[in-house]
Amino acid sequence: MRILVVEDEFKTADYLRKGLSESGYLVEVALNGLDGQHLIQESEFDLIILDVMLPGIDGWQLLQIVRRRAQTPVLFLTARDAVEDRVKGLELGADDYLVKPFSYAELLARVRTLLRRGPPREVEQFKVADLEMDLLRRRVSRNGERLTLTNKEFALLHLLLSREGEVLSRAQIASQVWQMNFDSDTNVVDVAIRRLRAKVDDPFQPKLIHTVRGMGYLLEVPE
Amino acid sequence: MSLMPRSLSLRLALMFALVGTLLLGAIGFYLYQSLEREIAWRDDQALLGRLERMRALLDDSDSIEALRERPQLYANMLGNRDNLLWVLGSGGQPLIEINPARLAIPHLPLDHDPQLDDLNTEARLAWMHIARPGGALTLIAGRLLAEREQMLAAYRMKLWLALATGALLAFLLGWLVSERGLRPVRQLTRRALAIDAQHLHLRIEDAGELSELRELSNALNQMLARLEAGFSQLSRFSEDLAHEMRTPLGNLMGQTQQALRRVRSLDDYQSLLASNQEEYERLARMINNMLFLARTEQADAVVDVQTIELAEAVDQLGDYFEGIADEHGMRLLNEAAGQVRADPELLRRALANLIANALRYGEAGTSVRVGSETAGDRVVISVTNIGPVIESEHLPRLFDRFYRCDPSRAQPGDSGGLGLAIVRSIMLVHGGEVRVTSDTSGTCFALVFPR
Repeated sequence: MRILVVEDEFKTADYLRKGLSESGYLVEVALNGLDGQHLIQESEFDLIILDVMLPGIDGWQLLQIVRRRAQTPVLFLTARDAVEDRVKGLELGADDYLVKPFSYAELLARVRTLLRRGPPREVEQFKVADLEMDLLRRRVSRNGERLTLTNKEFALLHLLLSREGEVLSRAQIASQVWQMNFDSDTNVVDVAIRRLRAKVDDPFQPKLIHTVRGMGYLLEVPE
Repeated sequence: MSLMPRSLSLRLALMFALVGTLLLGAIGFYLYQSLEREIAWRDDQALLGRLERMRALLDDSDSIEALRERPQLYANMLGNRDNLLWVLGSGGQPLIEINPARLAIPHLPLDHDPQLDDLNTEARLAWMHIARPGGALTLIAGRLLAEREQMLAAYRMKLWLALATGALLAFLLGWLVSERGLRPVRQLTRRALAIDAQHLHLRIEDAGELSELRELSNALNQMLARLEAGFSQLSRFSEDLAHEMRTPLGNLMGQTQQALRRVRSLDDYQSLLASNQEEYERLARMINNMLFLARTEQADAVVDVQTIELAEAVDQLGDYFEGIADEHGMRLLNEAAGQVRADPELLRRALANLIANALRYGEAGTSVRVGSETAGDRVVISVTNIGPVIESEHLPRLFDRFYRCDPSRAQPGDSGGLGLAIVRSIMLVHGGEVRVTSDTSGTCFALVFPR
């Protein structure tokens, strides 16, 4: 998968390149609009990450150039999250946007979603190690033992399972499980994870829910 | 008003001059009219007297001829170029004529009583008809108007001069007086000019006994008080903001420099980076909250107002806070009912901030109650907890940005003292307000929405 990053702030561009490369993507970086335009016209990409504020040709113009050629997914980055900016970007054909400063986990999640072509498949059953979830019957069991979860614990575990191996930030979890789309200065997510662990992980081996310090949580079978 | 000069004293002087001219003109006009009437009346009396005298002379004399021979009898009328005298016979032929201006003999209606009339604009005439044994006679006495006209013209001239001088004097005096009268205003200006951003604590002293200026200076002082309050809040806010940002930055710099002093283990680096990440998040959160506040405080903030079922909205928050409440050994009671018109996202944010606070400061074993009440044109949503009483001195400032009752109680997880400021600005964009009361029976935050 080839990703083009057009970003004039060198440090941002650099860590995006490193991070996305580590996640297995082929990354090209353009540090200004002109180079970006050149790369867009010369080669094919599966995803373009565009900064809006660029010297020379700005992100909006590049977006139009991209749209004239192909339906390559575009994720735009903006420092100003004024409503008009977002609306403008989406109207011009961007597929998603992120407001700076954004968390890297969030960016990675968006990139994955955009690259996952077509609608996400409806999975009805999950199985990770000996943990099983049946969505239709709303049942969770581990090591064959049925677990009793509250609605929100179920929703939280479902989120972690459907993004297995992906780090989810606290904000993402709060937004997806409780529709809390703002920062509420509480450790609600940590508490909820702790309680979920008490039921799902504490009595069993191996541990599946992991804390990634400074980033969030993920569910995976430890290597 | 565009024709008027910009200076107030000049304007007043012009008005004084206008009023003065009008008054003087009216008086002058009146005096002139009375003088003119008086002179005309006297002249008429003199003419009538002359007629009488002529008649007496005629009665005394035997004949006209005899009278004609003795002009000294009516000599007082001669030698004066203004006087006219005719004695006409029954055929209209002049028997006696004193007519230095060489006027034509006028044709006058016959009447036995003395008559008065103007002869064109040249002369004033009095005449009478007398029957005599030797034939009827017509006596005409007259006076040329030229002299009177001359005199009145001179008088008019003097009046115009007086009027012009008066207007000029009124203007000058008016200007002086208003210059003097406006001196307190200039003093007020000087005092007001002395007050700038560095001297907002200064006030304009009482402007003496001038009631109009006292009102003005009072109004200015009130405005200054409001400005000073806003200004000091703003500068305190900037200071607080800088201070709040300095703490995470200090941590970042300090621990990074400390770590870089020598080579550390991989674990140390990882934990340093993770700790840094926490500080970055704190900064990002603060910036996001600041941006949110700035945006809701803009005059054109967009609010997506909908009708919200309160019980449902609070239930949703109850789900969210359930775990935390449990850990604190507390319960969240949803006693809210009814509807409110508000932006759902903003209402949720305000309530979440209040509930988070209520749980943070509540006593273990107690409940946080979220209730609602519809009173008149308002819907009041309250969040009550039982915990330490907030001193009444803190209550009014609780919603200021970065305000903390106890500065040492800043918690790493909190929004750096912006939570309640956000609640207040959310209420302001809804045209409502937030109130707080605190005593031993509990601390109650009330969101007051207009219906």
